[in-house]
Amino acid sequence: MGPVVVRLGGLGISLLYAALIAWLYASQPQTVAEVTGGLTATIGAYHIDEQAFADGVAFFRKDQFEEARAAFQRADAAQRDARTQFYIAYAFYRQGWGRVYNDDALFKQGLEAVDRAIALAPNQRLVVDDADLGMRTGDELRVELQRGLTRDASDLNPLRLFRRRL
Amino acid sequence: MSPLRESVVLPCLFLTVALLGGLRLGADVRLLAPPPGALIIAVLAVGALARSNALVVERFIHRRRSALENLSGGIVIVTLLAACAQAFNTVTPDTGLLHLIVSVFFVVQLLTTLAGVRERMAMLRSVAVLLGSAFVIRYVALESLYAPGPSMMKRVMTALLEGVTLGAIEYRPAGTATGYVAFVALALFIAGLVLLDWPEPGPVQMTNFRLKPEATEPGTLTVVESEAVEESSRVWQPAKPD
Repeated sequence: MGPVVVRLGGLGISLLYAALIAWLYASQPQTVAEVTGGLTATIGAYHIDEQAFADGVAFFRKDQFEEARAAFQRADAAQRDARTQFYIAYAFYRQGWGRVYNDDALFKQGLEAVDRAIALAPNQRLVVDDADLGMRTGDELRVELQRGLTRDASDLNPLRLFRRRL
Repeated sequence: MSPLRESVVLPCLFLTVALLGGLRLGADVRLLAPPPGALIIAVLAVGALARSNALVVERFIHRRRSALENLSGGIVIVTLLAACAQAFNTVTPDTGLLHLIVSVFFVVQLLTTLAGVRERMAMLRSVAVLLGSAFVIRYVALESLYAPGPSMMKRVMTALLEGVTLGAIEYRPAGTATGYVAFVALALFIAGLVLLDWPEPGPVQMTNFRLKPEATEPGTLTVVESEAVEESSRVWQPAKPD
């Protein structure tokens, strides 16, 4: 192998390695699954586990939200799929929703998940076509979660007792 | 220097140091980019390496080299700078007063080295001692001192500094695993510095020939082999005058 080929090869390897390091520092992955998922998503080869996703949706419709989130997280271990992250956020919303008060801890986690989902969606426009959902866009869910975390005079309105979960 | 070492081995080695130097394996995994202070320390360190001939810049970038050779040489120097920044970053406490104290200590030490050290081996030893000492202070002493629960280091420090407390001196333990990662990063960094000017084994050893008139009959000159010449010193060190 000639020195020119070695130098060109080394140049390519160095640039790829440097790009990988820059991506790692920018994305701060927490698990190996997030690293591999992020890399495959970069080249458009990332796929969720469809069976686990279907299990998650089934649990979600039966109001088994913790089971649903477990299945969704298994389906999208790298947290790279906008639709799955939307369902995770929705599961936090429905579990945390209360007629008298909301569970702030769950709503905060829901807000983090929906922010992640919106960031992953093309042009940050997230629409989920599911007739079972009261809110089908990331923006609606995000506003609802934010509203649930806000403290204001409307919290004392007795008519709140008659509101319904979306 | 072989193209393989210059184009592949050294950049990959230094990039690995740049990657591992920012890795913190605590309760969560964090990758810390070097703060601006670490970049200044890195520039000083590269300057000191160049001044002591541990890094001979002309071997990597020179007008006699082709554009591709200069490009790969430039990448070595850039990756060395990144590795320096992260090597010093990994042995510096991340925040607080200790971060400031250790950073100032590094700057002063490197300025002293820059002014005083002129030999490659002395420079390499100096860097190894500096980073090794900082590693012990951070990952052995401070980690033990700030670790939750009782430890031998805490008892020793309490006994030595009776009545003195850590007070508001903030330190966030990096975790035991981070210490191992930092050790590997520093070992790779030192290995990379050594490889910057490690002589290649070759079939013909480069030697310096000179004329030695005093060893010959009057009116004739004899060519004798005087000494082996390090490749890095070819440009800068002319043969000693007779």
